[in-house]
Amino acid sequence: MSAMSDYLVEAKSLRISYGAKRAVDDVSFNIPKGRVVGLLGHNGAGKSTLMRAMVGLARGSGGLTVLGLDPCKDRVQLLQHACYIPDVAILPRWARVDELISMMSGLNPNFSAERARQLLKRTSVGLRDKVKTLSKGMMVQAHLALTAAIDARLMILDEPTLGLDVLSRKAFYEMLIDEWCDGDRSVLISTHQVEEIESLLSDVLMLNEGKLVLSISLEDMDRRFVALSHDSSVAESMAAAHPLLRYRTGPGPAGNAAIFDGAPPEHVMALGQRVRPNLVDLFVALTRKPELDRTQF
Amino acid sequence: MNNLIPLMRREWLQHRFAWAMMMLVPLGLAVMLLSFGQVDMGDAMEGRPPEDVTAVMGSLTIVITAAILFLLVWGVSMFVTSGLARRDHSDRSVEFWLSLPTGHAESYAAPLLVHLLLAPAAALVLGVAGGYAMSLLVVSRFVSFGDWFSLPWAQIIPATVAIAARVLAGLPLAVLWLSPLIMLAVLANALFKRWGVPVLVVGLGLGGVVLKYVFGQPLLGQALARLGSEALTALLGAGQTALTADRPSAEQALRAVPGWAAHDLGAAFAAAASPALLGAVAVAAALFAALVYWRRQGAGVTG
Repeated sequence: MSAMSDYLVEAKSLRISYGAKRAVDDVSFNIPKGRVVGLLGHNGAGKSTLMRAMVGLARGSGGLTVLGLDPCKDRVQLLQHACYIPDVAILPRWARVDELISMMSGLNPNFSAERARQLLKRTSVGLRDKVKTLSKGMMVQAHLALTAAIDARLMILDEPTLGLDVLSRKAFYEMLIDEWCDGDRSVLISTHQVEEIESLLSDVLMLNEGKLVLSISLEDMDRRFVALSHDSSVAESMAAAHPLLRYRTGPGPAGNAAIFDGAPPEHVMALGQRVRPNLVDLFVALTRKPELDRTQF
Repeated sequence: MNNLIPLMRREWLQHRFAWAMMMLVPLGLAVMLLSFGQVDMGDAMEGRPPEDVTAVMGSLTIVITAAILFLLVWGVSMFVTSGLARRDHSDRSVEFWLSLPTGHAESYAAPLLVHLLLAPAAALVLGVAGGYAMSLLVVSRFVSFGDWFSLPWAQIIPATVAIAARVLAGLPLAVLWLSPLIMLAVLANALFKRWGVPVLVVGLGLGGVVLKYVFGQPLLGQALARLGSEALTALLGAGQTALTADRPSAEQALRAVPGWAAHDLGAAFAAAASPALLGAVAVAAALFAALVYWRRQGAGVTG
């Protein structure tokens, strides 16, 4: 591998288009080691395209290096050190689980068959099970066990729990945290179940219509964004301070809140009570059209 | 190309059941038919001594069994190969395969190698072995069990091995002759999905007719016919000499087979040393490169 910087992923002015449609538009960010990064965005925001570009399956212009490698040119070498679960996490239906282990042993020198068998013991998937007999949840668990058995430095998960019930999702994330995140390796994960992974994340990237609207650690996010819970009687004063978003937090006149990028003026701060902005509200604030006001819904 | 063997193993794991069925079902059907049917050796064997008839019966059974299994597996393999580019789309596992550290070229080279060469070659070898077993059944059924042991094995074994070796050696040549058509079918399937092969057949057929009758250029039809005939003779019959001519007995004819096969193979190689084959391989290589490019661009995953 070429000489690496401190970052596992470096994107500089990355642009990816499908014909006339710009899927990723001038995106720049870095992912250091030991981070769990959430990639958030609406459907069609460019999340999958960005992830596919990171493993050499989509081409763009600008700069993108992953583990110090060019994903398109060095795709084979890269995929020995970075693993990827696509949004259609479907294993070949004709195969048995132990056959997949054996195939991956042959195809990836950093894959440990022994570790895969150990990880599979955490699941209800048997080694002799045929993939076509597995439920969707079991298949995703098996896929994660296979992927986590790769001695990689970066794992890219594109909506891995899509379509799973809450128990399967919980089991998936538990396995991910217990068995893979060791403080040295990084994970980039996209999902629509933002609330469920918020506690796992160290950083967040938000995409909106191909553009990166936020790249921040959660510590910095808490410092930078201010959410004020307030009474409806001061709603107009809050609105006059131009918050990013005004929204309802609950029933009754006290169930209102507003998010500001940076601390609002003192007199506005005095109108409400500071609360921690959650990721979902911030995501909505940054990716909805500014003219929309959620208090009206 | 370090991944070639594991990728070839994938083909074995995925297709072994189908291959086993392709071998066993025809043999099972043949056993059933032979249990109730008759064998008509035709007028050619009239007046021949009984031991000659038995020798021909035994030898032909081996050759026919091997030929049927070989052609069946090769034909099916061609069909499977034509859908190679999109086969993992049907169970949606294409992204799984793309997430593995395998090169795009080797991901196509391995299955092409297995389906076009190794599987038919294995079918031929197993077909010859099955043919020996079938010959026991045929001779036992229509002559007697003991007569099978009296067959001229000293001639039959070298003859059948020579013919099998001749076909095996000619197989890569036949594949090379057919390679532009095979790669065209794979690429058509990649671009037009299930309509790929029909589009290709109609396109080549119409193109040939239009070129011939509208523009007076029979080039396309001639090129297709040449590829087909060269592929056939690359397998057998390139020498244009009759095996049974001037052979008074079956044993003599069998004895002549190894020499005939060697001469026939030489003729096939001689025919291969032509600009036409070079052109065919160059076209196939360009189509293979186009296929690799298609996979590199996302293998149709995004649209």
